[in-house]
Amino acid sequence: MKKILTIVIFSPFIFSSCSKDDSAVYVPKPLHFEAPSNFPDIAYNLDNNPLTEAGFELGKKLFYDGKLSANNAIPCAFCHEQAFAFTHHGHTLSHGVNGGIGLRNAQPIQNLAFQKDFMWDGAASHLDLQPIIPLTSELEMGETLSNVIEKLKADSYYQKQFGLAFEDGDINASNMLKALSQFMVMMVSSNSKYDKYVRQEENVSLSQIEWDGLNTFQNKCATCHATDLFSDQSYRNNGLSINPRLNDTGRFKILENSEDLYKFKVPSLRNIEFTFPYMHDGRFETLEAVLDFYDAGMTDNGNVDISLKRDDGSFGISLSTYEKESVIAFLKTLTDNEFLNDKRFSEF
Amino acid sequence: MKITKLAWALLLCLCIISCSSDNEEDLTGQIGTLDLKFDNGVGDQDFIFGTTYNKSNGESYKLTTLKYIISNVRIKDSKGNIFNYPTADNVFIVDEANGNNAGEIFITLNNVPAADYTEITFGIGIDQTRFLLGADGQGDFLAEAQSAGMLWSWATGYRFMRFDGTYSNGTVTDEALAIHMGSVGTSLDNYREVTFTLPNTVRVREVAHPEIHIEADISKVFDGQTSVNFADGYSQVHTSSETTPVIADNLKSIFEVHHVHNN
Repeated sequence: MKKILTIVIFSPFIFSSCSKDDSAVYVPKPLHFEAPSNFPDIAYNLDNNPLTEAGFELGKKLFYDGKLSANNAIPCAFCHEQAFAFTHHGHTLSHGVNGGIGLRNAQPIQNLAFQKDFMWDGAASHLDLQPIIPLTSELEMGETLSNVIEKLKADSYYQKQFGLAFEDGDINASNMLKALSQFMVMMVSSNSKYDKYVRQEENVSLSQIEWDGLNTFQNKCATCHATDLFSDQSYRNNGLSINPRLNDTGRFKILENSEDLYKFKVPSLRNIEFTFPYMHDGRFETLEAVLDFYDAGMTDNGNVDISLKRDDGSFGISLSTYEKESVIAFLKTLTDNEFLNDKRFSEF
Repeated sequence: MKITKLAWALLLCLCIISCSSDNEEDLTGQIGTLDLKFDNGVGDQDFIFGTTYNKSNGESYKLTTLKYIISNVRIKDSKGNIFNYPTADNVFIVDEANGNNAGEIFITLNNVPAADYTEITFGIGIDQTRFLLGADGQGDFLAEAQSAGMLWSWATGYRFMRFDGTYSNGTVTDEALAIHMGSVGTSLDNYREVTFTLPNTVRVREVAHPEIHIEADISKVFDGQTSVNFADGYSQVHTSSETTPVIADNLKSIFEVHHVHNN
């Protein structure tokens, strides 16, 4: 205990004394991005934002820095905790500055390099632009880009680190967002039991119930939760009842196209054991509640996805008790402990 | 230079160690604020107005009104002292419609003596002592209850809860549902109390503002100690001496202290 205490107390001094010896010269040390063999192609264009060690470190520092919020206390990591696959543990909706409560459930940050667009409604079409949404939302971080940049400019760490991370060395919004992307692009979760099974690594095999669950999943869920990202990245209305308090019309808000009413992005299912509660408003606390909903809780709100229509005209995915049990067993094979404990992404 | 830093670090260590070994903190005269956060759910789902929830017996229901009365909050500290919140202010309506975006409803207790609290007790409804103070003895709460629709005539008394909505089963669809359980004057006492040991100590201080997060699983109103069928007279619960005590006992069982925030 004493040792830990000593290290914790000493470490800022060690770091600050080390960093004083370096000078801010841009000598890029490229960071290698390795796409897992079972994943679709990367969507993020690395040519426009080459990954470097200094850029990644800068992005990580920003991710954990409260300065990005109005009260200097709500960093990105506040709603995106690593132990829960970078979600807001247990919260249906995210909390922000001054006790504000957001409108949706915080999504995990993982495998974003492979996604075409972001947020539950696809409001951000590029990863570099996504952080602007929570940063400027009054319910979340309540800041402005220009104000954040002023705060960063006054900080000696950033004065140096922007110089190490970018050729022009400017502390500006563009470089800040690129650094955040570098950090997030590297956050790849691809070493779950399932991954090792499909890539035939380490002699990993699935148990009978996990294997049964995988089969049921492929038959009944994989239309939408497609590829090894477990999302076809489409927007669909899955027949949730409308919460009158939030009246969240989903993707409709983007183009006000009535065909988009109540559509939300099909979420990835990776690390789902830890990303509860579920759905865009976090209304289900457990996977059992989610599967009970698909089996017998769907509401015809007028625009439910056709793939969820049964032959008799009702909506839902019929699942037996064993099918639910085994699908959940399979979903738990998507837990990637290496990712959840990866020191590269940890604050400390 | 380095030696100076070492010295500072050592000093910091000493400070931390000396702080933590201070076991007798003087809290005399210090007061603080304590929040009770109520979050209504149905099993492991969040409660949402207008959403259909299934019961154990094949019946289903959806609600447009969900509120209940909480009163007589008292908390016990680690030394066994009990703090009763002042009686006149110690009655609250927890109304889902007043929740924030996440459907959370807050009761704020002010002027709470600073202490480490380990246990909470509260009542559901209005006890006979408070009722017997008469209509004039209720302070502002009478008017509040009246405008919230939580009062019959004075002789009958308060509705301890209001669950309004509709229910469906194999034979009927969207029939009216109204669970308005209360005591009936002085002839039937449906007031109940619950006590919880807190999962960790709640530290009320002048500078700290802790929060006790209470989850209420409203499905237990119908599927609690006793499972009731809407079809058997439980779709309209008002003053019956048969049905109201059953609902009162079920309502008592819906609460759980989920966690505590100290900050």
